[in-house]
Formats: sequence, C-alpha cells, structure tokens
Amino acid sequence: MSAPMLEIKDLRVSVEDKEILKGVNLIVPAGEVHAIMGRNGSGKSTLSYAIAGRAGYEITGGDVVLDGQSIIDMEPDERAAAGLFLAFQYPIEIPGVATMTFLKSAMNAQRKSRGEEELTIPDFMKAVRGAADKLSINKDMLKRALNVGFSGGEKKRAEVLQMALLEPKMCVMDETDSGLDIDALKVVSEGVNQMRAPGRSMLVITHYQRLLDHIVPDRVHVFSDGQIVESGDKDLALMLESKGYAAFDGAAA
Amino acid sequence: MKFSANNATSAEKQLLEQLDGMKDSTALKILQRFGLPSRRVEAYHYTDLKALMSHVPPLAKSDDLTDSDLGAAGEFDLKDAIKIPVRNGFFGKVSNLAEGFEISENSGSALTERKDMIVALNRALVNNSLNIKISGAPSEILHIDWQIPGSAAHSAGCVEIELEKGAKAVIIETISGSDEAHLGNFGSRIILGEGAEITHILVDVSSRKTTRLQTIEYEIGQNAKMHNLLINSGAKLSRTQIFTNFNGEGAFGDFNGLNLVDEGQHCDITLDTIHKVPNTISTQKFKAVVRNRAKAIFQGRILVESIAQKTDAKMMIQGLMLSEGAQILSKPELEIFADDVQCGHGSTCGELDEDSLFYLMSRGIRRDKATSMLIRAFAEELLEPIKDEQLNGQLSGILDEWLEGKAKV
Repeated sequence: MSAPMLEIKDLRVSVEDKEILKGVNLIVPAGEVHAIMGRNGSGKSTLSYAIAGRAGYEITGGDVVLDGQSIIDMEPDERAAAGLFLAFQYPIEIPGVATMTFLKSAMNAQRKSRGEEELTIPDFMKAVRGAADKLSINKDMLKRALNVGFSGGEKKRAEVLQMALLEPKMCVMDETDSGLDIDALKVVSEGVNQMRAPGRSMLVITHYQRLLDHIVPDRVHVFSDGQIVESGDKDLALMLESKGYAAFDGAAA
Repeated sequence: MKFSANNATSAEKQLLEQLDGMKDSTALKILQRFGLPSRRVEAYHYTDLKALMSHVPPLAKSDDLTDSDLGAAGEFDLKDAIKIPVRNGFFGKVSNLAEGFEISENSGSALTERKDMIVALNRALVNNSLNIKISGAPSEILHIDWQIPGSAAHSAGCVEIELEKGAKAVIIETISGSDEAHLGNFGSRIILGEGAEITHILVDVSSRKTTRLQTIEYEIGQNAKMHNLLINSGAKLSRTQIFTNFNGEGAFGDFNGLNLVDEGQHCDITLDTIHKVPNTISTQKFKAVVRNRAKAIFQGRILVESIAQKTDAKMMIQGLMLSEGAQILSKPELEIFADDVQCGHGSTCGELDEDSLFYLMSRGIRRDKATSMLIRAFAEELLEPIKDEQLNGQLSGILDEWLEGKAKV
C-alpha cells in the first residue's frame, strides 16, 4: 500500500455542542478512490465539512492529516492550498460574483500560495475552455454569476469543473450524485474518472450504490451514527444495496 | 427647553454670527427660533445636527483664490469630461465649454425655499449659482468638481441644471478636499424638460474630518427619465437629501445609492419623493456597507398625491454590517392618497453570508479577498448600469479603495 493521502484519526466533531462524529478512523492511500455510504443523518456531510474546515464544526478530538500534514488548525483556504477540494452537496449561489472571475481568483490564489506565477488570461481561458468542454458546460453558463440560476445538474458539473481546474490531491465529493439524472450522472462521473491519477485520491460520499457503478471505488466504508462500522471492497456497496443499512448498523430502516 | 441665544451650542453661536446681516434672513430666523435641528425634529431624528455639529469653521472667502486655483482638478479626475471646478463654493470664469451646454450665473441659490435648515443655510450663504442649460445630446460627460481645499472653512455652493426638451446628458458631481474640518453646504437643482434623460451621479470622497450637507432637487417633466447614483465614502458627518417632484405623466426616476461607512463616520441619505401626477414610476435602491463603529442612515418618504393614479413606486434598502459596532438605521415611509397604485418597500440588513464565505474560502481564496468579493458582489448591482467604461472604472475604484481600507481616515 502506498503512503496515505488522507488519514483521519479518531476524529470527534461536535455541532452546537452535540457530538456528531464519534471517533472516525480512515486511511485513503494515494491514488485510491474510497466511498462512504450511510443513511441520512449518519454524519457523512459533517465529516466532509469538518475535513474542509467549515465554521461551527468543532473538532473535539483526533486529527485529519493530508499528505503528511495535519490540517485541523488551518483555515479553509489553507486546506485548499494544501491540496484539498470539497465538492459541495448544495453548491452556494453567489449573485454578483461572475463565474469566470471566481475561477480566476481561486486558481490564482492557490498558485500564489504555492509560490507559482499567476495565470495569464489566455492560459486561463484555454484551461477553462478545455475543462468545460469535457463536462458539456457551455459558454452561457460560464457567463452567469456563480451558480446563480444553474439547475441541479449544472451546479454539480460546475463543481467538477472547479475540481478539474484546481487539480487537488484529495477530492471529497459530498453526494455529488444527488439531483442528477442518468445522463448528467454519466457526464459528471466521466469527469471524475478522467481525474483519477496516482497522485490524487478521492473520497466519494453517497446514499446510493448507483454512483459507484460509474465511479468504481477501491474501498467502501459504511457510516453509521458518526462512525465507520464496516469496510470492504466494491462488493460491499452491492451488498448494502440489497440488504439495506439496517443489516450493518442494527437500527430500523 | 425653548431655544434661546443663551443656551445655544457653540456651533449655533458661530452660525448666528455668520448669518447676521445676510440678505436672505430665513436661516437666521429659523436658527434664532429653533437652533439647529435636533432629534426632536422628525426629519433629523437620526441625524441630530445640534448634537453632531460641534464647530462651524469661518466662512470661505473668494479673495484668496487665483484663477489657476479655480482651474485645478480635484481628487476625482475624470479625463474626458467637461470639467467645472468649484472651490469652496466659488466658480471660476465661466465660458460655454462645448456645444449643447449654455452656462450662466444667477444671483442667489437655486434651491427651492422649504422648511429645512440645510436648504435655508444654502439659500442664505450662496451669492451666485451656476445655471447650466443643456440641449441635444452632448457626448461629453459634465463633471462638476466641488473642491474644499486649504484650511477649514464653511463653504456653500449651488448649481442649477436644466435639460431642455428631449435633451440627454450624463452629469457627475464630486466632492473632495483637504484633510480639515470643513463644513460644506452644496445644492443642485435639476430640471428635466419633456422627454429629457439624465444620468446624475454624486460622489463624496471628501476627507473624514469634513461635514457635508447636500441638497439635490429633481423636477421631472413629462416622459422624462432620471437615473441617479450616489456613492458616499467620504466625510465624518454627511447628510444628503434628495427632494423629487414627478411633475409630468410618464416621468421616470431611478434612485440608487451606495453608502460606504467606516470608523467614526455618520452618513445620512434622506429622500423625499412626491408623485404629483398620474402614471409615473420611481424605483429606489440604496445599499449601505458599514465597517467598525459607524452609522449609515437611510430615510425615504414616497408621497403619492390623490390625483397620481397608476403610480408605480418601489423602494429597497439593503444593509451589510461588517463589525459589531456598525449601525444601519433605515426608515422607509409610504404616504399614499391615490387608490390605484403599486407601491412597496423593503428593508433588509445583515452580516456577510457565512456559507458564501466558506464556499469561496474552500476554493483557496483568502478570507480578506473572499470578504471583498462578497461586498463587491453586494454593490455590483448599483455600479453595473454605468456603461461608460472609464467612469465605471473610477467609481469601482472608490469601492476598491474602501475595501482595501485605503480611503482617507
């Protein structure tokens, strides 16, 4: 097994003084894709927000180590610069911020923190156009304000576009399949699959096995009541689909 | 307690002295009877001039100004505009600058007499006002460059702008000056003839020791269109009052303002809009961004007279408070005497949206940059309609400087 890209050690997280994550342990080696499956309210989204550093998600114990570096004391932008990317379940609409301006700011902010030169406008345009074409994102969408008026599918494609442009080492995808029809699911999955690389790991959070037909994981973890209760290979997802979560966490469905 | 010269504040005493012997004695009489308006006067409830004005500097004199002084550009320098520099309320030699502009001087202020201390002071103090008649559609922007240079002085000035039938113009007024405790009282009276169209922008980038009292009057004629934008980032204490009459059917008025307020500033925008005839439209959109311990005030009254059926009047006030000590006070008022109208107002105030901030930061954008992006996004709606690239760029620049905290403190 190669060195871990993401290591979560006994992570405990409280939201408004209520403990949601109750000691999560997880290792995602470099180049691997892991899936986390769990029912609603099991704490999956809390895990993704805690990794990304959202305010209000208080880490009361444990650690999150990204490529050898603890990130729990970092601001969200520093985590991004360190190579983390969170694809949101519900991407935020920001009226008044042009999508292109946002993309340029994000790409240049990360380049700057890595000590690289800012992109020239032609290089930037070329990068965006190339990545947008692969995801069937048209020019009109890029001209709009960030996520404003985007359909559910467009928002998810825009998330994957950002991911492709920012080239993170560790992608966390929070229910990227929600709100997608079959065709959009294919486009998004293809976009994600194209990004699979030896130096890049992914953590795919989902309710349904469906997504994992398209993005085939190396490992599957079952999440219940703030903990990982079972881990296995991709067949575990199929088993979950047929038996339901109750078989794993003992609670009534 | 009844006002008398004995319990006058020092600012009131200084004003009484300055007004003594002036030709127009209305201001003196109001002052002698009531003093400066305090919070007990409804229109000044949030901007208590009696409490807020501690000192009145000596009256500005024209004697010290040379012709070259009067020709110099102020801080806001719009390259391709026709410029009318005004120093401490005094105009330089006036000539007809370009086709479509006819400029003359009138004696006294052009502001309409009304029960208001700021207007009364302007009418008492202004000896000569500038009258600008505009015909056709001059391509140049007209820039009235109000400058308050030198040592602290009490200055007053007034312009009257008349757009003839079908005329179209873009006019910007800017206020800038030295870092002294000036008191400036500026007036603009704008009359739109039938079918005329104006974009009228007022920018305050004066120093944060300045007190600025400003009155704008709009008279909007039949089928005339008025677009207004107010950008305020200067002054320690400011009161911008806009009195508007919709006088002709089909008249349209679009009022916009961005009030950028920082530590120690108190900036008041007060609108009084009267729909006097049927079938007129007014829209008002005012936004305030307040940082540190500072106060932004918006008061807006829309009065629809009983004959003004089919009036469409909308007012929206939005505030963004960036710090705990920030205050935004807003008072929208609708007085409707006609029964077939569409009128509405809304007022919302809040902090920066945490979710948006997190989203931007999660993409690697630093907190300060993300904050600026969101404030810019909040203001963008007001700047977007200004299509002239140079002008838009310079107005955006005021916001950028404010965001970077570079504005004069």
